[in-house]
Amino acid sequence: MREYLKTGITLMIITVIAALLLSVVYSIVREPIANAELGAKLKAIRDVLEDPSTRRPLVQDGKIPQTAVELATFEWSPEAIDFGEGKVYVSDDGRSKVESPAYKFVADDGRNIYIVIGSSVGYGGDVKTMAAFVVTESGPELNGIRVLEYSQETPGLGANIASIDIQNRFFPVATEGLNKGLKVNQDANVTPTGDEIALRREVDGIITVSDVMTGATITPRAVAFSINAMYQFLKKAGAN
Amino acid sequence: MSESKLKLLSNGLFKQNPAFIQVLGMCPTLATTTSAENGLGMGLATTAVLAMSNITISVVRKFIPDKIRIPSYIVIIASFVTMIDMLMHGFVYDLWKTLGLFIPLIVVNCIILGRAEAFASKNGVIDSLFDGLGMGLGFTGALVLLGSVREFLGNGSVFGVHLSEVKMFAMILPPGAFIALGMLAALFNYIGIRRSKTSKESK
Repeated sequence: MREYLKTGITLMIITVIAALLLSVVYSIVREPIANAELGAKLKAIRDVLEDPSTRRPLVQDGKIPQTAVELATFEWSPEAIDFGEGKVYVSDDGRSKVESPAYKFVADDGRNIYIVIGSSVGYGGDVKTMAAFVVTESGPELNGIRVLEYSQETPGLGANIASIDIQNRFFPVATEGLNKGLKVNQDANVTPTGDEIALRREVDGIITVSDVMTGATITPRAVAFSINAMYQFLKKAGAN
Repeated sequence: MSESKLKLLSNGLFKQNPAFIQVLGMCPTLATTTSAENGLGMGLATTAVLAMSNITISVVRKFIPDKIRIPSYIVIIASFVTMIDMLMHGFVYDLWKTLGLFIPLIVVNCIILGRAEAFASKNGVIDSLFDGLGMGLGFTGALVLLGSVREFLGNGSVFGVHLSEVKMFAMILPPGAFIALGMLAALFNYIGIRRSKTSKESK
């Protein structure tokens, strides 16, 4: 009996000390973690607000948020969408989610730009993507994307989605391509090369990644699905 | 630094290298060495956990009953891993995102529990620290070497610096990890065997 008590109390003391130390470290890193997450989000916003062909910002530098307070002024919560208690919009096929809030900017040429964050299930967990849609006469067009979260994807395979060159394969896409629904080229059973890569993407919504992400189809597919969900969300929200 | 401390350090680096000689910690060794930078980040995170857990286990070794030593070690190791995970999340965000899943998995890296059980639980604090540092730096060196070879052959660069036009993409994929690890382990063992033969002959 005494031995049981001794072992139990020893284990309890070890776990209590461990919990105390962890809580101290957490209280120290809580702010740097929040700053790092916010910094990554603000950088992604800056990136997706660039014109994909000229790489120049569509919005003047001074109008791009630099802090959490400034970012809050661009929040956009459409009345037509009920986000529910979980603060997410679930796509019709149930495969992807869109986060609340979305953000609305006005380009220097007067066009509206919507920035939306969506996620879909990748190989190991959720893959979170930010996308900017510029509203033209024909409807929203995909201007840019940045993949925000892929930490559960396999290093060397799915985690290669971190590469900017690979992410740049996903945009721009015209309304025509978005209406057909984005899909990776493996799912469309085609392998475009050269100039055909951009053409098939813009018109047919086919994203060619098989040459740069060999052996990892699930992660880019998750990105394509989440972009489809974000486009569906914007259409339902009546973004114009 | 005394000779015995130096020996503890060099043991982990060469003679008992955890990855190439003891073949321990293969999961992160194969999975995170797609580039030299990833290998370095993973190796240093493991070294920090190994050194801290070795020190702590050495300090508390006399208070922990034999029956509950393994769960106690795991609680200590898991706590340090969680701390490293949080610190990396806050201060090296990009590397933390890239290594992702493999940082929490340091808990089950058999090098850490292996050194706790084989060394720290039987030796003093300073010796345990040097053992942890030696093994950790040996593991880091192995990961950086493997990451550099794979990055060079697969992407023509080392630490992101472009060096050649060679691009054997398979070297960055899982088969490349096994091929490169096999070759480096063979090289390490060859050097070890030759050295012991030479020392026997000189005697």
